[in-house]
Amino acid sequence: MVMNLEMAKKLLQTGIQKAKEKGMAYSIAIVDENGWLVALHRMDGVPIPTAEIARDKAWTAATFRIPSSEVSQFGAPNVSGYGLNAQNWNERLTTIPGGLPIWKDGHVIGAIGVCGGSPDEDVIFCKKLIEEIQ
Amino acid sequence: MKELTLELALKMLEAAERWAKDIAGFSCSIAVVDKAGAIIAVHRMDGAAMATTDIAIEKAWTAVAFKMPTLMGSRWLDPRNIGKLLGDHAMGMIGRGKGRLCFIPGGIPITNEENEVIGAIGCSGVPSGVGDISDTTVSQAGITALYE
Repeated sequence: MVMNLEMAKKLLQTGIQKAKEKGMAYSIAIVDENGWLVALHRMDGVPIPTAEIARDKAWTAATFRIPSSEVSQFGAPNVSGYGLNAQNWNERLTTIPGGLPIWKDGHVIGAIGVCGGSPDEDVIFCKKLIEEIQ
Repeated sequence: MKELTLELALKMLEAAERWAKDIAGFSCSIAVVDKAGAIIAVHRMDGAAMATTDIAIEKAWTAVAFKMPTLMGSRWLDPRNIGKLLGDHAMGMIGRGKGRLCFIPGGIPITNEENEVIGAIGCSGVPSGVGDISDTTVSQAGITALYE
């Protein structure tokens, strides 16, 4: 199974509906298994940079195959990969929580990135959305 | 129509996608941006090349920034227009706008009743810029949906 526009649209539709119910507003980005953007929606009234940040989170989650918040573990002085966050080798790399890979049948089929609330809110929102399609 | 909302943007995207799929027969990426040039919604249709999303966003951004369809601006960068009136005076435009400037035909600004630019739509993925089946006509299909 691969990420397609239909699945991405369904995720975004559910996400926007859930956000509206809670009175929140988010930018939500869906990328495929290689980190390429499939769909991105920015809800009305959400700050402009959130769209790109959501996309960065999704890219990080899809390509590392771990939540974007866990990428920062590579930056600790006592583990390999020290300085990953400082090398600036890719402008999309981010360690902000809110990007989660989507696993299906043992494979990463894509990732979702959310930006608009606090980091914790973003992660909870992401998890709920992924549960929807699994 | 005062401001471009996500709801309106999705309506445009849906119509443009339908046009691209059913009439043009090509998969493409379509982006809608607001009056600041900021993304409201982007869709990449199944089968469209991966790089088209960024190009569609850049086309829409350029259409807002210059308040004109990218088709018009593309004339400035066309070497065939060197020496012609309104032709070659803007070759230095290449590489401007922090790399976001994209004068490939396919981006069209959206105006309100007072003729102010409130956003733009950009399409990339159809292997033609001008003509009946082109990025420009896919974007036009999206704009038409606003008035339905």
